[in-house]
Amino acid sequence: MSALPIRILLVDDERDFVEMLSLRLAERGEHVMTAFSGRECLEILSREAVDVVILDIRMPGMDGIETLRRIKQAHPRVEVILLTGHGTTQTAMEGVRLGALDYFLKPADFEDLTARLERLRRTADA
Amino acid sequence: MADRLNSLRLLLVDDEAAFRAVLVKRMRRQGIDPFQAADGAGGLRILSRQPVDVVVLDVRMPGMDGIDTLREIKRRHPHTEVILLTGHANTREGLEGIQAGAFDYLSKPVDIDHLWEKIKQAFEKKAVLEALRQDSQYRLHMAQQMAASERLAALGTLAAGVAHEINNPLAIINEAAGYLGTLLQKPELEDVPYREGMVNAVGKIATGVARARTITHQLLGGVRPDSPGLARVRPDELVDETLALVRAEAEDKGIAVARQSPPMAAVWIEADRLRQVLINLLVNAIHATQRGGRIVVGIEAGDGRLRFSVADSGKGIPGENLERIFEPFFSDQPPGEGTGLGLFVTRQIVDRMGGTITVRSQVGRGTTMTVAVPHRCGDPGAARGPGAPVCGQEARP
Repeated sequence: MSALPIRILLVDDERDFVEMLSLRLAERGEHVMTAFSGRECLEILSREAVDVVILDIRMPGMDGIETLRRIKQAHPRVEVILLTGHGTTQTAMEGVRLGALDYFLKPADFEDLTARLERLRRTADA
Repeated sequence: MADRLNSLRLLLVDDEAAFRAVLVKRMRRQGIDPFQAADGAGGLRILSRQPVDVVVLDVRMPGMDGIDTLREIKRRHPHTEVILLTGHANTREGLEGIQAGAFDYLSKPVDIDHLWEKIKQAFEKKAVLEALRQDSQYRLHMAQQMAASERLAALGTLAAGVAHEINNPLAIINEAAGYLGTLLQKPELEDVPYREGMVNAVGKIATGVARARTITHQLLGGVRPDSPGLARVRPDELVDETLALVRAEAEDKGIAVARQSPPMAAVWIEADRLRQVLINLLVNAIHATQRGGRIVVGIEAGDGRLRFSVADSGKGIPGENLERIFEPFFSDQPPGEGTGLGLFVTRQIVDRMGGTITVRSQVGRGTTMTVAVPHRCGDPGAARGPGAPVCGQEARP
């Protein structure tokens, strides 16, 4: 792959999901890091360069919306794509208002997700 | 009571023409024109042709006797009140009549004023019973409706909860199958035994996940975050746009689709949700309609509401299913076609819009689904003045 890999941080308490999706994204040549909680996500962000966080909304402890709020405070240039098994428009709208780039309902279509990442890569290149 | 008496439908059954004449003359003065019969069979014939409130029935007549006639009247027309005219001082006949369901009896010769009083009382009793019947039917109907909608709301909450819990494992299956698919495309695995079988199996997993996903996403309402709320649109244009989306599918099946409404002025309405509702109803209508059939979408405005009706000439819904069509997973289509969630979700969307959805159907003739939703008028300034379009009404050029 000639394009620069996107540095992705995948955050979800569903470990099997994180494992499988990260393997898939890595197969596409992206640089994938993983975290299993909001706290771990913020900890990684404080020491690693990340382009986009793919973030589950419903997690025990610090939930996705709170994590998103803190990401945007501490690292305003990091993009966030929200992911959830729940279809409430309100949460999604709140996320987008807080600065999330987009929102996908689980199980997300891989093509949709990668198309979104491609758009991100193009804006980053430009 | 006075003007209600004008509507009293009275039948007089007596073989004595002279007696009938006296009574009829008296009744006409009250503005009532009674039906007349000279015997029981004639009386029953009249009753079979039109409803009657009160029957004045002579017991002693040639042919079918009065008591038998009374029994037959009460059997066929239980809500009709009957006043018996018995022989002089014959209480046995009167008693028998009461037992057979007569309102009361008078012995001949009767005092006309007295009889008129009895007729009025019988009519009043019938009106009161009628009102009670309607009231209890109405209350029963309301209770059923409320029970049904509470049950649906509970089912909706449960279904959404289940859908959410299922989505997480479904996402794992989805990514795992996707990853397997990616691996199988690798050049190193090109010559691995059973590769084709594995590719095929992975494809089946993906198809199954997609099907399950359609169900869970539908249950969750599947509303995208970027869908705007209120928009100012012309209802007729909104319907035309929606029809354009389903026209190809309908025409493939040889079904004509059309809008039947005048051009309309723009209103503020939840356009996205409404479009979703109309699409769901149209897709259902297309499934239910045979080749050569027809689907018409109508729009009516009034009382701050817009009413959209989707009428098909399809197979119709049997009465026993009408109550169940809004339940989740109720479907008359084979498995795999139709999730059984379309109308369930549609109803939830309509509820969220503060609207109502109703269905009328006749087996073999077709079904009409009507959605009524509130709307707001556009810029009030633009809506004033001569020739200006009235909110939600026909637009005048």
